[in-house]
Amino acid sequence: MVSHGGTGKSSGFFWLNAAEMQIDVLAEGWDAESGGGDSRINTLWMSEAGIVDTFFFVGPEPKDVVRQYASVTGTSAMPQLFATGYHQCRWNYKDEEDVAQVDSKFDEYDIPYDVLWLDIEHTDGKRYFTWDSALFPNPEEMQKKLDVKGRRMVTIVDPHIKRDDSYFLHKEATEMGYYVKDSSGKDFDGWCWPGSSSYIDMLSPEIREWWGGRFSYKNYVGSTPSLYIWNDMNEPSVFNGPEVTMPRDALHVGGVEHREVHNAYGYYFHMATSDGLVMRGEGKDRPFVLSRAIFPGTQRYGAIWTGDNTAEWEHLRVSIPMLLTLGLTGITFSGADIGGFFGNPEPELLVRWYQVGAYYPFFRGHAHHDTKRREPWLFGERNTELMRDAIHTRYTLLPYFYTLFREANVTGVPVLRPLWMEFPQDEATFSNDEAFMVGNGLLVQGVYTKGTTHASVYLPGEESWYDLRNGKRYVGGKIHKMDAPEESIPAFQRAGTIIPRKDRFRRSSFQMDNDPYTLVVALNSSQEADGELYIDDGKSFEFKRGAYIHRRFVFSNGVLTSTNIAPPEASLSSQCLIDRIILLGHSSGPNSALVEPLNQKAEIEMGPLRMGGLVASSGTRVLTIRKPGVRVDQDWTIKIL
Amino acid sequence: MRVLLSFLLLLFLVLASSAIRSSSSPVTDPFLGISPQDEKYYKSSSEIKCKDGSKRFTRAQLNDDFCDCADGTDEPGTSACPNGKFHCRNAGHSPLVLFSSRVNDGICDCCDGSDEYDGKVACSNTCWEAGKAARENLKKKIQTYNQGVVIRRKEIEQAKVGLDKDEAELKKLKIEQKILKGLVQQLKDRKEQIEKIEEKERLEKEKEEKERKEAEEAAQPGKGDGEEKTDGNEKVEGSTDGGEMPGVSQDDEILDENEHHDETGRYKDLDTDEESAAEAEPTSVLEEGTHNNPADQHVVETKEESPSSEDLIITAGSQHDGSTKKEESDEVKKVEEDIVSEKKEALSKEELGRLVASRWTGENSDKPSEADDSPKADEHENLEHTPTSPQEVEEDDGFVSDGDEETGDDGKYSDREPEDDTYEEEYRHDSTSSYKSDAEDDLDLSETTSSPTWLEKIQKTVKNILQAVNLFQTTPVDKSEADRVRKEYDESSSKLKKIQSRVSSLEKKLKQDFGPEKEFYSFHGRCFESKQGKYTYKVCAYKEATQEEGYSKTQLGGWEKFENSYQFMTYTNGDKCWNGPDRSLKIKLRCGLKNELMDVDEPSRCEYAAVLSTPARCLEDKLKELQEKLEKLMNQDQPQKHDEL
Repeated sequence: MVSHGGTGKSSGFFWLNAAEMQIDVLAEGWDAESGGGDSRINTLWMSEAGIVDTFFFVGPEPKDVVRQYASVTGTSAMPQLFATGYHQCRWNYKDEEDVAQVDSKFDEYDIPYDVLWLDIEHTDGKRYFTWDSALFPNPEEMQKKLDVKGRRMVTIVDPHIKRDDSYFLHKEATEMGYYVKDSSGKDFDGWCWPGSSSYIDMLSPEIREWWGGRFSYKNYVGSTPSLYIWNDMNEPSVFNGPEVTMPRDALHVGGVEHREVHNAYGYYFHMATSDGLVMRGEGKDRPFVLSRAIFPGTQRYGAIWTGDNTAEWEHLRVSIPMLLTLGLTGITFSGADIGGFFGNPEPELLVRWYQVGAYYPFFRGHAHHDTKRREPWLFGERNTELMRDAIHTRYTLLPYFYTLFREANVTGVPVLRPLWMEFPQDEATFSNDEAFMVGNGLLVQGVYTKGTTHASVYLPGEESWYDLRNGKRYVGGKIHKMDAPEESIPAFQRAGTIIPRKDRFRRSSFQMDNDPYTLVVALNSSQEADGELYIDDGKSFEFKRGAYIHRRFVFSNGVLTSTNIAPPEASLSSQCLIDRIILLGHSSGPNSALVEPLNQKAEIEMGPLRMGGLVASSGTRVLTIRKPGVRVDQDWTIKIL
Repeated sequence: MRVLLSFLLLLFLVLASSAIRSSSSPVTDPFLGISPQDEKYYKSSSEIKCKDGSKRFTRAQLNDDFCDCADGTDEPGTSACPNGKFHCRNAGHSPLVLFSSRVNDGICDCCDGSDEYDGKVACSNTCWEAGKAARENLKKKIQTYNQGVVIRRKEIEQAKVGLDKDEAELKKLKIEQKILKGLVQQLKDRKEQIEKIEEKERLEKEKEEKERKEAEEAAQPGKGDGEEKTDGNEKVEGSTDGGEMPGVSQDDEILDENEHHDETGRYKDLDTDEESAAEAEPTSVLEEGTHNNPADQHVVETKEESPSSEDLIITAGSQHDGSTKKEESDEVKKVEEDIVSEKKEALSKEELGRLVASRWTGENSDKPSEADDSPKADEHENLEHTPTSPQEVEEDDGFVSDGDEETGDDGKYSDREPEDDTYEEEYRHDSTSSYKSDAEDDLDLSETTSSPTWLEKIQKTVKNILQAVNLFQTTPVDKSEADRVRKEYDESSSKLKKIQSRVSSLEKKLKQDFGPEKEFYSFHGRCFESKQGKYTYKVCAYKEATQEEGYSKTQLGGWEKFENSYQFMTYTNGDKCWNGPDRSLKIKLRCGLKNELMDVDEPSRCEYAAVLSTPARCLEDKLKELQEKLEKLMNQDQPQKHDEL
């Protein structure tokens, strides 16, 4: 629980317990008597069983609370770069031909994506770690074909194991006694996708270790290094159990009843899978595991999504408060299924969802198998163009997102932030959960209603904001009414920030590796701005040994400076150049700049604000330092002349 | 030898050039990525305009790896402009235009390798082989078209003949129908006249009889008619049972199939009453159990509370309100809650599992088992469809020729004979499924029609009869004459019916869209089949498309129309899908020498797609286009062509 009030100060309370609990929030209006007047809000916490640890976080700033919470539960794992790109999922891409077809369509329509997902139907009768040999006869070859384009694949692995004596995993788990037991001590038998199933007892470190070993290339036949994992149904879901889960009197290792550990089960499963992928890669490859179940600490093991949503405008709207809340509780690598899992989104909803979803930390399109196909090219040329543009927006911002993920990895401060986290004194932001901040530099306002082409956007603070599409300046501290045409949802860069971009569109993030950077410098009223850029190899754990670049860019007194903020032992070199610097809000019209230490002059001219994209948004011309020729891993200054 | 030599030379050139490229400065050719037609635009002056008119740029800024024009004009040879296009010449093959994003992305896109010049990957020049293969393919395609065009022409001619024949027949039948109608009417009048007289005779006889009887049994009481009512009452009671008696506790009762079946029916009539359910001891029985009774796939609950009919899952009331119904996951949660409150001992756990699973699968609750090879799976798969008797007999259809027939032009699934016979054969075919009785009639009809005098004969007979009967207008009726009239009437009117049905089917046929040149005429009454896995797909033109598995048949759609200038055939409004749309099928038509259905697929749930190759799509224009393309390729590749030969 995080509280934040009119004083602009925050505090937090953390109740650590894994049993069923109830929290009464005795806020105004909770019953007839409570009435208003008292600024105090009481809460009442109850847990059914188990041990309770409680923690108070004193703040005082919102970010302090989150940092303090992260110091207890951990910060979020540094994702691989590919995982921050776009993910294409569906229940189900049916066979290898289907996979190849979908993959090639992305290329045909010049839409980048990084990961193609396979849901439960890829298995042989819902036996995880197997492949339906009729539909996926050559899984390795299939993955390699994607990998050549820098694309990965994700398959689903759930904790329920089909009770089939000829299934190697069931046999082994039975023999080893690795299943959760029912109250009579027999292996618990519940119903899930495969039918009669048993559940691996993830509470035991020994069993987790064994589970992790299932992901080795040898054990997971048909897997390759470009295959990652999706953990679903890990609450655990038991279709014929009470509340669709495991009976409370089921027994875990050491005779612990399920009621005491229920909420942690999925977390341990996520942990075991994630650790398994680390083992598989011999500690050299960051794992990627998406989980549905969460618990404090989940952030250390991978991404999560908000579960099975529906193709309705309201579900698009509510995705933002959901993700903001998750971020406040440490879990920043999260997203909602683009388009809505159940039902068929009308094209307008789908387009708006892509436009909002492009800013979700975890950006995945997904759909139920009863729905119509909805890959971005299926709704006519115009809609394809709009969705492509939304996805491109995400890809241009990948360096910024990656830098923010690093910030979350170090401090626990989430990528997606409620406005009040950045503007804790501004009461107008407290209840605003339709707009959100991406880092400290971008404010995004979703469009959540059908047929809307206008939006009212509250832009907080005293400094100005620059429209991401056309560079137009808006003053802070007031509500602006503005166009929200089908091309875009309102999004703004905060004056005083510098945002790194990569403007070349590729098939996937992999091919963007060597592409040059663009810096967008949005100057505040004192003609100053600053920002950061974090770069590492995007995949290994070498960053933990200092193999990364962390730069700080400061614009002040007409000089843009790049300085190293990584510790001295940090070392990574990059050939990448910064080939374009855009100045927003510069007071004069300079026409050249001096680059040091190269001692070279660079031209300043009017250039496009946004490369490519929709014609309507690329017409704007802004002050651009052309080809300063500076490297991203070095110190330099650029003086505006 | 010469081939090898020039190939080596080429290889050398590629290697040499890539060596130069990797040396550093990215673009060696300032005009890289520009198509030959465009070169003039770039070379004409030292200052070049962005094509969108937004800006000008210098020759030095051309391909300098920095995007000046938002439309990409200044960077045809680099990846700097997202909107740019890169042109690879691909000598030896066809030129290709790429998105700029493909330049130097580490993937060889152009067969000449020109898109990768930063030295990170070495692309070998494959244009030679690729071009050769492409030309071979094109040649093959042209060959198919060449033959296909001939077949198509023949088909068109045959269609003309067939249509003329149909029209002639229709005309003739219409005349016959008119005459026969008149005769039948006359016979009918006569028959009725006779029957009137007969009736009169009968009544008189009866009267006499009655009088005689009445005289015999002077006075007897009338009979009551109340007895039958009891039956009806019972029925009413039975059907209200469930609704009226909420307290009936069947906790420990395990319903047998029959009882259970009854419950299903009853349960539908119940009122929704969520609240009472929370307190009441719920006994919900999730059926699906023994897998014998396909109709019993859903939930049955012996409580008064009841879900909305579409819900299928019973939601017992709980502290939560039901407002989030829309979200299925919530519903599932509700179900969970119910389940807690229920005595799970009374449930089959497996049934419950299947049921909850079905909330996601959207299919039968036993969908998961479909994949697990359990013997039940197949049977249950059919449940969404009309439950035909689940016998295990393999379907043995008449279309065994599946796929391998090599006799060429005639559609391989067509059971039709030479065109002269069309009418009869087709008609028989049409009738097999739904018009069986008519079919036989029509055979008769066709036999009779073959003799031109049959109508005259009938006319004559009728005339004779009528005259004959006329002589006996007074009572009593001559029995044999009356029978003759009746017999003649029956025969004639049944003949008339046959003709009428034939007329209407011909009229219907002639209204169909056979294509601009009637090239699809031969499709009428024909079905095309494709076996894929356990399913047999059967597509009958102008009629319907089905998916068959054993004896279970699912309609994928009724004939809708051709689309996109006859590139597609569409079937719509097929059997309803559980959670999806009505089934539909879209068939892509492409040129082929045989009518052959293939690649049936279901890209989205219950929206099927397939390909049908047919000579009807071997268009002459397209052939010309292909020939021109080939010619261009051959000319363009003159040097290679020389080597090739």
